[in-house]
Amino acid sequence: MFQQILFATSATPACDPAARVAFNLARRYGGRLALLHVLGVPTRGFSQEVVDIRTGQKVQADEDYLACVREEITQYYAKQMESAPGAAIDIRLGYPHREILRKARDERPDLIVMGGTTEDPSNSAYKKVMVSSTFHRVAKAAFCPVLAVGRSAASFWGGGFSNIVFATDFSKAANAAFDFCLEVAGSLDGELHLFHALDIGTPQTGVLIDQDAIEKRLREARQRIRGLYVPRMGEFKKYSIEVWEGIPYIEIVKFAREKQADLIIMAHQSQALDAENAKLGSNMEQVIVRASCPVLSVSRPPKAQ
Amino acid sequence: MPEGTFCNRTPIQTEKALKRLLEDTGGKAYYQEMKALEVDRDLLWGTIQKTLKSRLRTWLGICAHCGMCADSCFLYRISKRDPRQVPAYKIQSTLGEIVRRKGNVDNAFMHMAMETAWAKCTCCNRCGLYCPHGIDMGVMFGYLRGLLYQQGFVPWELKIGAGMHRVYRAQMDVTDKDFVETFEWMVEEYEEDYPGLTVPVDKQEADILYTVNAREVKHYPEDLAEAAILFHLAGEDWTVPSSGWEQTSLAMFAGDWEACKLQVQSVYGAMERLKPKRMVGTECGHAHRATVVEGPYWAGRPDGRPPVRSIHYVEWLAEALRTGKLRIDPEKRIRVPVTIQDSCNYIRNHGLKEITREIISHIVAPGYFREMSPNREHNYCCGGGGGFNGIGLYRPQRNQALITKRDQLLATGAEMVIAPCHNCWDAIRDLVEEFHVPIKWSFLKPLLIKMVQVPEHLRPENS
Repeated sequence: MFQQILFATSATPACDPAARVAFNLARRYGGRLALLHVLGVPTRGFSQEVVDIRTGQKVQADEDYLACVREEITQYYAKQMESAPGAAIDIRLGYPHREILRKARDERPDLIVMGGTTEDPSNSAYKKVMVSSTFHRVAKAAFCPVLAVGRSAASFWGGGFSNIVFATDFSKAANAAFDFCLEVAGSLDGELHLFHALDIGTPQTGVLIDQDAIEKRLREARQRIRGLYVPRMGEFKKYSIEVWEGIPYIEIVKFAREKQADLIIMAHQSQALDAENAKLGSNMEQVIVRASCPVLSVSRPPKAQ
Repeated sequence: MPEGTFCNRTPIQTEKALKRLLEDTGGKAYYQEMKALEVDRDLLWGTIQKTLKSRLRTWLGICAHCGMCADSCFLYRISKRDPRQVPAYKIQSTLGEIVRRKGNVDNAFMHMAMETAWAKCTCCNRCGLYCPHGIDMGVMFGYLRGLLYQQGFVPWELKIGAGMHRVYRAQMDVTDKDFVETFEWMVEEYEEDYPGLTVPVDKQEADILYTVNAREVKHYPEDLAEAAILFHLAGEDWTVPSSGWEQTSLAMFAGDWEACKLQVQSVYGAMERLKPKRMVGTECGHAHRATVVEGPYWAGRPDGRPPVRSIHYVEWLAEALRTGKLRIDPEKRIRVPVTIQDSCNYIRNHGLKEITREIISHIVAPGYFREMSPNREHNYCCGGGGGFNGIGLYRPQRNQALITKRDQLLATGAEMVIAPCHNCWDAIRDLVEEFHVPIKWSFLKPLLIKMVQVPEHLRPENS
C-alpha cells in the first residue's frame, strides 16, 4: 500500500526520527522512496538569491550549489540509502509546504513523511517559513496521508508489531481517515483502537459540565463509534473502542501511551486557510509534539488518479 | 567595439540564452565583462535624438537647481543629506550630462550612470510632487534606464528579468501551461472548503478578466486561490486568460522598451480576444503602472488607455465591500494597531489613496488604524521599488534604503502593516528581517479571507 513514499526532509537531526520511519516503511512495503529537500526560500523580489533553510545563509542557488547540497544529503543518508535501492533525491527551491505539495501533485505518492518539528526555532529562515507550520499546510491540502514523526523517542512504525490508535472527532475527514486506518491495520495485521476524546473544557475556561452529562456523552460517543465504524470493519475483529474525557490532545497521547501505540491516525479537519491561527488550536499539532509514536494525518479521501 | 559573451547590447531572446546568463552566478562574469564594454556613442546619441521628446528636454532645461527636490527624496534624507543624492543633481549629472555631451561618454561614466539610475532612484516620483516646475526625476530616470539598457549597462538580474518577459511573457520561467495548471491545482485544494469554486479559463465576455504576478504562480499560489475564493464569494462572473495573464513588467524596471511593449501587448491581446467588461489586476503596484498607466503608450494606443477598463485589486475590493458583494463579519475585523503602505505606483501615481482607506474602514475595527507619516501621495517609497529589491549588486544600498520605511512603521506603533503591492510587501519583509522589526505584514486577500462572511448557499455541507 505504500508503493510511493515521499519523505520531505531538512536533512538535519530534526528529521532523523522521520527518516528512520520513512526508510523502514519503504523497506517493509518494497516501496520507492523519494527524498525531497526544499533548499531555500526565495527572497529579494525577483533576485536569484535564496535563504538556505539549513544554514540561514543567503546564497545564489546555482547549479554548483544545488549539486553541493545534493552531495551533502547523499552523504547524510548514505547508510540508509543502501537499504533503499531506487531512492531518489530531489532538491527544489521555494516555500517548503508549497514545494512538498507540488512534488506530491506531480508524483502522487501514497504517503508523505515529514519531521514534526524543526531543530532550531531561532533559525530565521525556518521561522519565516515555519511560522505557519509546513506540516499543517501540507496536511491540510495533501491528497494522500501525511505522517509526522515528531519525537526522537518515537516508536518506529514499520517494525514487526503494530498497535494503531484511530482518534476520531466524527468529522467528514475522519471518515476518510478511518478508511485508510482499516487498510493499514489490515495490511499490518495490527490491533486497532478506536478512540474518541470528549472535550469537556476546564474550569479555568469557564466550562464546567456535570458528571451525568459527561457520562451521557461518553455513552453517546461509544454508540457513535459503533454505528459509524464497526459495520465498516467486516471481518476485522482485532479492535477495541474507548472514549475518554478531558483535553483531547492530552487524552489521545495518554491513550496511545497506554496502548503502546505504534501509530496514531487522526483526521486533519481544519478548513481555515489561516494556518497560523488554526495551528494554535490544533489537537493534531499538540499530539505530534507530545506523542511517542508517529502521527498520521488524513484530510480527505485519496484523489482519483 | 568589444561586447562580452554575457554583457552586451543584445537582449535575451531565447530560453537557451536566458539559461546561459543565469548560469553566470550573481553576474560575476557579466559585471567583469561590463568593465570592458564600450559605449556605442553613435547609437546613444542617435537614440536620444529620436526619443528625447519635448517634455524631457524641457525638464532638463528648466531645472532651476533650487534644491526643493532634495528633502522629497528618501535616499537623500538617509544619506546624511549628501548633495550627490539630490534628485536634480542625480539626473543632471547622468542624463543631463549625456545630452550635453551628445552621447560622448565612456565606460566609467556609464557605470556611474547605472548605479545612479538603479541604486539612487526607485522611480517613486515623489520629487515630482515637490518640484516647483513639476519636474519628475523618476520619469527621467525611467528614460535614462532605457538608454543604459540599450548600451548593455543594466544590472544582471534585470537583464534576466527583461529576458524572462521576452521568452515567457512573464517575469519568471512560468509558462502559460504552468499558469493554468497551477490555478486549477489551487482550486482543487480549496474546492472542498468552498463548494462550487472554479477557475474559469478563457471565458468570453466575462465581467472581469483577472491578471496576476508570476511570482504568485511560482512561489505562493495560495494568492491565486484567495483571489478565486473572493471572486467566488462575491458572485463575480470572472475569468483568467490562458495567455496574457502576467501583469507585471520587470522590463519596465530594466528599461527594455521593446520587451515592455511585447509584454503589455500580450495582456491587451487577452483583453481583445476575450472581450471582458473590465480587467482587475492583482495586488501589485508596478504591474498596475505597467499595464494600466504606461502600457497604453508603449503599445501605441491612441487613447492612452488599455483596450478595456482596467482597475487595481484595491478598486475591485473597495467596490465589492461598498456594494455588499462581500460582507465582513464585524467580529472578525482587525483588532490590533494596523497601518497601510501606500504604494507609489497606484497611490501617488494613480490617485487611489481614498480607495485603500475605504477598504480599511470595512476591515479594521474602529480605533485600530494608524496612518503613517507622511501618507497617501506623500508617502515614501518602501525602499525597494523600481527594481531595487532584486539587484544583488546594490544590496547594501537597498538595505540602507529600507531605513525610512522602518522608521515610519515604528512611529505608527502598528503591529501589522497591510501592503497591497508585491514590491512593498517584499521590502517590508526584508526590513523586518534586516532590522528585526516586530511587525507583521500582509496582502489584503489573506486578511479578507479570514473575515469575509460566506453566504449560506456557498458553505460546505458539514460546516
